Amino acid sequence: MDLSRREFVKTAVAGSLAAGTAGLLSGCGISAAPAASSAAVASGPPRRGGTLRAAITGGSTADTLDPLDAITNADFSRVDNLYEPLVGLTPDAQAMLVLADEVTPNATATEWTVRLKSGITFHNGKDLTADDVIYTFQTILNPKAPAAAAAGLSSIDAKGITKLDSLTLRIPCTTPFASLYEALAIPGYSDVIPVGFNPAAPVGTGAFKLQSFTPGTQSTFVRYGGYWQTGLPYLDEVVITDYSDATSQVNALLAGQADVVNLLSADVIAVVQSQGKKVLISDGGGWNPFTMRVDSAPFNDVRVRQAMRLVIDRPQMMEILFGGTGTLGNDVFGIWAPEYDHALPQRHQDIDQAKSLLKAAGHEGLTVQLVTSDIGQGTIQAAEVLAQQASAAGMNVNVSNVTVNDFYGPGYLKWVFAQDYWYYNFYLPQVSLATLPTAPFNETHFDNPAYIKLYHEAIATVDDAKRQELCFEMQRIDYNEGGLIIPFFPPVIDGYGANVHGLVPSKGGLSLNAYDFKRLWLS
Amino acid sequence: MAEVTAPAKPAGAARTSKAHPLWNTFFRRLGFGVITLFCVSILVFAATQVLPGNAASAVLQNTATPQRLHALELQMHLNRPAVEQYWTWLTGLLTGNPGTSLVSGASVSSLVGGRVVNTAVLVLLAGVIGTLIGVALGMLAAARRDSWLDHVLSVTALAVTALPEFVVAMALVIFFAAVIWHLFPAVSVFPPGVAPWSDPTLLVLPVATLVIVIVPYTFRMMRAAMIDALESDYVEMATLKGLSRRRVLFFHALPNAIAPTIQVIGLNFLYLAGGVVVVEYVFNYPGLGQGLVNAVSDRDIPVIQFIVILLAAFYVVVNIATDMVSLAASPRRRLPRS
Repeated sequence: MDLSRREFVKTAVAGSLAAGTAGLLSGCGISAAPAASSAAVASGPPRRGGTLRAAITGGSTADTLDPLDAITNADFSRVDNLYEPLVGLTPDAQAMLVLADEVTPNATATEWTVRLKSGITFHNGKDLTADDVIYTFQTILNPKAPAAAAAGLSSIDAKGITKLDSLTLRIPCTTPFASLYEALAIPGYSDVIPVGFNPAAPVGTGAFKLQSFTPGTQSTFVRYGGYWQTGLPYLDEVVITDYSDATSQVNALLAGQADVVNLLSADVIAVVQSQGKKVLISDGGGWNPFTMRVDSAPFNDVRVRQAMRLVIDRPQMMEILFGGTGTLGNDVFGIWAPEYDHALPQRHQDIDQAKSLLKAAGHEGLTVQLVTSDIGQGTIQAAEVLAQQASAAGMNVNVSNVTVNDFYGPGYLKWVFAQDYWYYNFYLPQVSLATLPTAPFNETHFDNPAYIKLYHEAIATVDDAKRQELCFEMQRIDYNEGGLIIPFFPPVIDGYGANVHGLVPSKGGLSLNAYDFKRLWLS
Repeated sequence: MAEVTAPAKPAGAARTSKAHPLWNTFFRRLGFGVITLFCVSILVFAATQVLPGNAASAVLQNTATPQRLHALELQMHLNRPAVEQYWTWLTGLLTGNPGTSLVSGASVSSLVGGRVVNTAVLVLLAGVIGTLIGVALGMLAAARRDSWLDHVLSVTALAVTALPEFVVAMALVIFFAAVIWHLFPAVSVFPPGVAPWSDPTLLVLPVATLVIVIVPYTFRMMRAAMIDALESDYVEMATLKGLSRRRVLFFHALPNAIAPTIQVIGLNFLYLAGGVVVVEYVFNYPGLGQGLVNAVSDRDIPVIQFIVILLAAFYVVVNIATDMVSLAASPRRRLPRS
């Protein structure tokens, strides 16, 4: 639609006059907020029907409905209802089969067999078949336009995938890939799209199908009658609205204009609860690390890295950032993964040891610049707290706060001392993304021969117990020599109205049941 | 009494002359306006080139592998020289096609069109209501000069002037929407394609915020101008002649006090075009300001350019209109220079 100015002035004037009088007439006495529903009890069987209004932050005009391009919370809130993965995450952040009925490796982890559940249909009525899965992987790994998951699935030989029958396929890998099953569980890594997928008219197998979508503004989804999990979803309709400001998002919840809101800050918990609304706190496995480049002074000296890890008072940092919620970090990622080593001693603040390490390294009174940006929950505050705490050891950390675009601009992956944010991931898939010299996002430039050798051994080990042992060894290297500081795993704090049921804490790090609304219902 | 207020003859005579000086001024201003817009477009384009990062890196964030970045940059045509990009944009705009959004691929006019209407509704409503209230209160305070009413109004106006719009907005939300009374919606969310007046309650708090912010300026200017007028000889003359207080106020003082106030009203409209950004943000109102903020964070240059040009055009038009109206309202300045 092309807009002529004259037309727009005309409509605007006419409209404002109409609105003006109507506004004046109805200005007094009209209550827009529905009367606060009586304190509903979460008992009884789920009720069918109703419209869920979700107020979601993190979106923009770049919003997409393509599950392979989903990056922001706003994207995930939409695609997680439209599409389903082969393998997904349980609320406890463990891998579980969704569209797949079986995902098994051969003895050397160089070939995987995937069998799909039968009787699943896309929103256009077409059956889900092996062809769709092959198409999905070939789209993800298209060398000309690789999708977000391409970096994590690069061992898959997309061209070599073969169809065994209409529901079964064989995935060859160019190098052993024992963690494929876990890797597929990461949001956006195995959402299946049909052959010939058109993002402008998207269809998936999810519990809701698309009705309308305006990037950066609002989208509407309606119940998919042919959904394969009988009885689900409970809701008739989901309306997702983008919010650019967290304050207006909370106001919408308080005024009864939104039923669920995502990613609140800890300081609004009390306000939300005092107004009769509810708060859902999840111990998310996402992480916002400090990144120290191990190949650049002063962090090329492991003693300086360890000193920086030791100056942090982690509980205090979490208290300031999240009001005490969240999970304590131990400089190792993948906290809810089965191969995470909970036996490593918890690292605590130790100023004396930090000082002596710095002295031994010849870096007493060290001055460094820390590049921060509003990229994740509490990142800027965390940087300021770190700078404050580091001064106790005589260190001088200068915090340089840049815009998000600056942060991910040409300097990204090159900063000597900075931060980043990651969604939850299993241990080995995360290593392949972040701590190998071949990793696409190796912020710390970590390049440790023993670690690399262990990784290649682990990624070729199909036996879970043996692989776990190798992962433990790698984590000891992370813990003793790594360039990442992981002081905490931020909580995921969501708000919802008392009439919303079916929400459970989820450790995967995404809000509101990982934005999977099919089990939510309204009373 | 007609002899006091009706200078009918001279005006009629002036209208018969070939080109009224008002028109000359108008066309000169219009020419300068077009040049201004052209300069603005160059400046804005240059500014977008200086911004760190581009639309591709803004979209991909921490998934920007070199391969993904390269593929997206090709798709967005970001590899063309800057001058060429500008030229394509300018020629497109002049032929009525402001281009397509880099990040969403939709046409800029479809992305911005609805937002223009939404913002225009907000600005016009707030401007008109604010002006009426400001003028009325200003007259009232001047007519009751030094009464307790005048003092209360003046002090309140001064205090409100010191409040930033987001404070006013938050206070209104806390009192009337979210916490104390649940009278109005706390956010103005309506589906795309639906006109904002379809649910007028959604407009109450955003418009009220803007009205509260602009009223003090109009009020203070109107009060001062009105007091000047009331102290003038012709008002004293009119009063001595035994005219009613009402007639003196509305037919003798008001026409003379309104001219200087028009400038302030114009400034208020200009302020609204910018101040609306904050209000749209607080109320999540899908208007131009919110669109601009989004476009800047996405580095969506065609959208940034178009919105800025629209806002700049609004400035130019309001400036010209203000000058024209205040010229028309002050007969002395309207006459050809001798």
